[in-house]
Amino acid sequence: MDASLLIIIAVGLFVVFAIIQYNKLVRLNVQVDEAFAQIEVQLKRRADLIPNLVETVKGYASHEREALEKVVQARAASTTASTLPAVAAADGMLTNALRGLLAVAEAYPDLKASTNFLQLQEELSTTENKVSFSRQFYNDSVRTLNVSVKTIPTSFFVGLAKVGEREFYEVEDPTIRNAPNVKF
Amino acid sequence: MANFRALESANRRKTFFLLFFMGVLVWFISYIAISAFGGSGAGVIPLAVLISLISVWGSYFASDKLVLKMTRAHLIQEADNPKLFNLVHEVCIASGLPMPKVAIVDDPAPNAFATGRDPDHALIAFTTGLLGAMDRDELQGVVAHEMAHVANRDTLVSAVAATTAGIVALISDILMRMLWFGGGRSRDHHGNQMPIFLAIIPLILAPIAATMLKAAVSRKRESLADATAVSFTRNPAGLRAALEVLARDNTVVEARSSAVAHLYIESPLDASAASKLFATHPPIQERIETLRKMEANPNIS
Repeated sequence: MDASLLIIIAVGLFVVFAIIQYNKLVRLNVQVDEAFAQIEVQLKRRADLIPNLVETVKGYASHEREALEKVVQARAASTTASTLPAVAAADGMLTNALRGLLAVAEAYPDLKASTNFLQLQEELSTTENKVSFSRQFYNDSVRTLNVSVKTIPTSFFVGLAKVGEREFYEVEDPTIRNAPNVKF
Repeated sequence: MANFRALESANRRKTFFLLFFMGVLVWFISYIAISAFGGSGAGVIPLAVLISLISVWGSYFASDKLVLKMTRAHLIQEADNPKLFNLVHEVCIASGLPMPKVAIVDDPAPNAFATGRDPDHALIAFTTGLLGAMDRDELQGVVAHEMAHVANRDTLVSAVAATTAGIVALISDILMRMLWFGGGRSRDHHGNQMPIFLAIIPLILAPIAATMLKAAVSRKRESLADATAVSFTRNPAGLRAALEVLARDNTVVEARSSAVAHLYIESPLDASAASKLFATHPPIQERIETLRKMEANPNIS
């Protein structure tokens, strides 16, 4: 075998290697976009459920104005948000407002027993789960992408693929922020 | 080691080594065949490989349809059980997997299984007993365990294990028959040939070892599916509670057979029937303990 053939093989192998790394980065980046779109789909689903929930609660607990107002406002804010930090902030606000409203609902046995509310309950728990799983999947995708962007060999192809580190989706959640109880 | 990422990689590594040993076993039995039986032994090997490949891979490609028949499961649509579909959809979002087909088995024993050659042809099934016995969090744990099998391509892994075990079993079976009927046929080969009686013991032991390795692969995939399920839901308590429900229950699935035993979340066969080395599932108490450790250690992103 002469030298030129060896060089051609080496170059060919390098090109294949580069294509694999490049495609990996692009694929991970697209996955992050898809994961973000999924969060938005689930947030939209939740926003669509809220008018029905608010009406049902109003029927039994109309004087809980504060909790109801918070949910309505947070919903309005969430429908206009578009950038990631804004979406995440509005999402966090709405999550908390909903939790507040459901806590209030606990005090009304008639409301809790109403068929409308019972039907909503399964819808609400699945939607909450879907929202939080889509956040989790987004953050996992970002984590995988960011690791690839920073580690060899994919890090060499970051400029070529025009892919960079992405932002995590962080929700202001007081129940998470509160440090676990320290016991002595 | 009470976090799901460490558990997942440990189980993957163990599966790799087990499959590697199964490969070594195929090589070993082929070596015995050639050295003790000469040319006729060598002819057996491709035959065994071919038969095993055809029988296993045929069922692998049709796994979703075949298993439906064998377990008497019937497919359902979203309108039949919206809550179950919600749960499955949640886990799909958490895992990034496509929506599988969902089936129900009319059976009072609580159990569930997953099959299908790849995530696009996945099928997960639940017995009516399971759906009745579990609350939302527990069911979510079971759904996540089944979707974990889909994500980890366990139908493929068990097909590979079954193929290699099948090859070993076939080779030793055919050679044993050759010994029985025409033992002396290799006498025309002289020289450095292994005496035939030395081949008998490995011929008996190899298929047993292959069956044990196949069962070990299945056990590791169950542990892996538990860990992966937690990576989907981040809620080890749900799956743990579900396994406790299964452990308390001692009814067994009616349409059971050892052919589909490895599919289920809990072994559908009587525990006493198989020794630990041949069991397709790790002891349920051990699985519950592992999940408890994960609950105690939630400091993972």
